[in-house]
Amino acid sequence: MTLIGETSAQMALRDPDIRLMLRVRADEPGAFQELVDAFQHRLVAVMHHLVGSAEEAEDLAQEVFLRVYRARKKYRPRSKFSTWLFTIANNLALNALRTRQRKPSVPLNVSDSGALGPRPAEQLVRDRASQPGQRLQQQELVGVIQRALENLNERQRVAVVLNKFEDMNYAEIAEVMDLTTQAVKSLLSRARTNLRLELQNYIYMDGEPIPGPSNEDA
Amino acid sequence: MADPKPLDDDEREELISYLDGEADAATAREVEAKLNRDPRVRAEADALRRTFDLLDFLPKPEPSANFTERTVTRVAAIPPGLLSVTRTRWRRWALGIGWAAALLVASVAGYAAAPMFHKSPPSTEPVLDVDQLLARDLRVIEQLRLYQPANDIYLLHELDRPELFGDEHAGH
Repeated sequence: MTLIGETSAQMALRDPDIRLMLRVRADEPGAFQELVDAFQHRLVAVMHHLVGSAEEAEDLAQEVFLRVYRARKKYRPRSKFSTWLFTIANNLALNALRTRQRKPSVPLNVSDSGALGPRPAEQLVRDRASQPGQRLQQQELVGVIQRALENLNERQRVAVVLNKFEDMNYAEIAEVMDLTTQAVKSLLSRARTNLRLELQNYIYMDGEPIPGPSNEDA
Repeated sequence: MADPKPLDDDEREELISYLDGEADAATAREVEAKLNRDPRVRAEADALRRTFDLLDFLPKPEPSANFTERTVTRVAAIPPGLLSVTRTRWRRWALGIGWAAALLVASVAGYAAAPMFHKSPPSTEPVLDVDQLLARDLRVIEQLRLYQPANDIYLLHELDRPELFGDEHAGH
């Protein structure tokens, strides 16, 4: 513990991921594989939401792990391990997005499932889409949501994806994106407003009444 | 009575941070008061919440089955000394560039300083007064009337060549 200092030791005690990373740093056999196993699902999912292509998402996630490995000796546990990991991921994803700015993205396929079968959200889509006509509608809906996400600028997309799918709070997103908390607040506000405008025709479906002054007054 | 104005950017920002559980206590109270008295704010909050919930419909992509294996294999392929080799190579370059720069600076400085240290060697010729100068150049002064039409020392040298006039003198 003297090697990593008192603060680092306290952080490591609180965060099991930090303990795992410290084992990677110490070149403990099997530790790196354990780390990849633990974070691959989250990392690939985030990358996929950011870049829109399964193949590219895997390549980028792999590159993130390689960078983690190369930088392992310099690792100092100053914050949550996942924050450090997603900082590297954010830099790589933004570079990739800027590099292929004008290339068309590959839309996500609704049938992309994991090894353990469809996840709850997918299952919900499938349940709703039991009839062919409805299935087409659901596929269209997923396409619309995907396009709305793609239409956000890169930084808005990163902030939304980390907030929504990594459940990161504003301070964590700020650390990952090297911004102030206030900047993240504004960024997410603009992103959520843009999404709301793009998806406003899809948020009240199945004949649900649209709440508003006129409805409430009625 | 409901506020007829649409939400401005600041109000929407506060509303979204409240929905995300990020608003401080004072802001949260303010937003809750607006939500209670203004149906438009309630409708906006509902729409924003539903929009964010729509993202749950996106499929959650999973890595391929052999992702870990491929990644670990790639890491194993990294030469152990890759970082140190890179660093050594960089240091070697830096050292070379440093020496080259030092040499260049020394050359420029030496060139610039050379005139300051350069002293012309003392003249070996004795200092002559006017009489001595006249005595030294007496032969030229005596023949000056003859030399003047020539106007050119090279012509005089040419005329002095024995093969031009020597035989003529010998013949007479």
